[in-house]
Amino acid sequence: MRVEYINPFVESAYNVLQEVLSVEITRGELYLKSTSMPVLGVAAIIGLAGDVEGRVLFDMSKVTAIQIASAMLQSMEMEPIEELNDMGKATITELANMITGQAVTKLHNLGFKFDLTPPAIFTGDNMEIADTGVEALIVPMELPFGKIEINVAIRERN
Amino acid sequence: MKNTSEPVAHTQSDEQSQGARQRLGGLHQHQIQEQDDIETVDYKMVTFSLGGKDYGINILKVKEIAKFTTFTYVPNAPPFVSGVYNLRGDIISIIDLRVMFNLPAQRKAEGSAEDGLILRLDELMIGVVVDSIDKVVGIVSSRIQPPHPIFGDVNIKYISGVVEKDGRLYIILDVDRIFAKDESTAEKPESLPPAGAANAPELGEDVEGIEATSRQAAVGKNEEQLDLDFIRESLVTFRGFYPDGIADAWLNRRYSEWRAERSKLGLDVQLTGEDDADEFLRTFYSPYSGRFWGEDYAEGVKALLAQEMPKNINVWNPGCGKGYETYSLATILRMRYPDHILKIWAGDNDLLSISTAPNLVFGADAVPTLYEPYLVEAKNGFSFSSEVKDAILFEYHDVTHTNAVPNVDMIMARDLLSFLPPKQQASVLNEFSDKTSTGALLILGQNEYVSETLGWQHVGSAVVNAYRRL
Repeated sequence: MRVEYINPFVESAYNVLQEVLSVEITRGELYLKSTSMPVLGVAAIIGLAGDVEGRVLFDMSKVTAIQIASAMLQSMEMEPIEELNDMGKATITELANMITGQAVTKLHNLGFKFDLTPPAIFTGDNMEIADTGVEALIVPMELPFGKIEINVAIRERN
Repeated sequence: MKNTSEPVAHTQSDEQSQGARQRLGGLHQHQIQEQDDIETVDYKMVTFSLGGKDYGINILKVKEIAKFTTFTYVPNAPPFVSGVYNLRGDIISIIDLRVMFNLPAQRKAEGSAEDGLILRLDELMIGVVVDSIDKVVGIVSSRIQPPHPIFGDVNIKYISGVVEKDGRLYIILDVDRIFAKDESTAEKPESLPPAGAANAPELGEDVEGIEATSRQAAVGKNEEQLDLDFIRESLVTFRGFYPDGIADAWLNRRYSEWRAERSKLGLDVQLTGEDDADEFLRTFYSPYSGRFWGEDYAEGVKALLAQEMPKNINVWNPGCGKGYETYSLATILRMRYPDHILKIWAGDNDLLSISTAPNLVFGADAVPTLYEPYLVEAKNGFSFSSEVKDAILFEYHDVTHTNAVPNVDMIMARDLLSFLPPKQQASVLNEFSDKTSTGALLILGQNEYVSETLGWQHVGSAVVNAYRRL
């Protein structure tokens, strides 16, 4: 993945999470992965198009998703959720949208033009994702609620 | 060759001679009904003991039971080869099963006979020495159970099964397997003194003298080989360096140098840590590794560039590190082909190095003069002008993953392949071939070699080590 893309994603993930959750966040070591990988249980996906092709995947366990959604809802003086209902899913989707949106804005300022697809959310057990032909950058984020793995796979259009 | 005895038929009990008669009768498929067993006996084995445990060998594999007295000792044979034996004109080799399987062997008095069997395996005959022959036992083959590791000292892959008969447990050896193994080890000369030496009193003094010196020489050579093997291992451990097939020639050269250096300093030949490994690898790295190329190397690369190039020149530079070499190459290509569209895919899996590459800033004194026309002043020093910079796409990428580069006209991978395990080395080389067509240029590290059988012809000079796609 192009070096210039890395920082915008890492920075916006960190900034947005801290802003909306007001908790302490630590970023793990970044690494590359190319084989199929397990998905923790809840995965929000946003596609990228334009100069590039690819997608960003936000991956976390169900428990973490519920806690994050509850924290976000409470900060807006709404009721916390007990299970991953429509409200919970919409909240997680919105979080993914905020992070990706901010990253793409940063990239736009650097001269890279991307478009986003509407986010989608997948939930289930024992899920796996495989993208042949694209190497994914993994940005692990440690939160008090658990871990979010941001999985960015972007390829230049040749 | 000398032999002093003939094998003698071994008869100890009625039961055994009965077994032997059946055997000599050619083992017709006639069925033998035993009184205490209503099932059909369809498997006979010669039983014997090894290290106090009972073993059996399928009687169809046994040619005869023999007593061996004197073997002719074979120099430089593996320790389990007792020697060769003249069996009525046929020379057969004798294997001591106890030595082969590391079982305790009773020492027989000098000159007394050893119990043994002569086995017939396909066309070959082979003699085996055992503790003592017991008898021939008939069993029901369906009663044979698969081997279990706890049953015997003999390596489990040489056991075809275990069977219980009259309260005794027999381990049935798979002689075909043992023999196959024997063949492969026999090809490799071993430096250990043969165990059969004691059985060769007839060898003259002078012969033994020659034998001893040649053995010493063999041991000395093996020690050097062993040291080199250790160094290989240490290089893998400390630095992930795999010279196999790509930098073997360098390694061997460096090793002789290293031995001399180390003995002069009174130090151990072995690499004891990362510092030693780095010191050993010091001469491996290519000139201007991780720096801007000097005039000489730049000229060397320029000399290899083709007259005619397509309008779009694509270059792949995996393992680009901080990008100094990529910028050097980009500058040279820009100079050489000012009107072409140049694109360099540069990647590295070291995030810290690669993240500074796109916006590399350096002091003016760090740059050889040839790059000057392409430099622009930046905030804290100099960087490359957009002419050069925009030609390069730096990626955080692992070359062993899927490579999304299109077909390229040139690949630069200096000192990269040697740091990949052999399997990945091969797949990356394959990918190099996939992404190029005839005439493409491949620049490798100064001490790296690719065989012509892989489709790359050496075209480099003394300065630049390069290959052209056939």
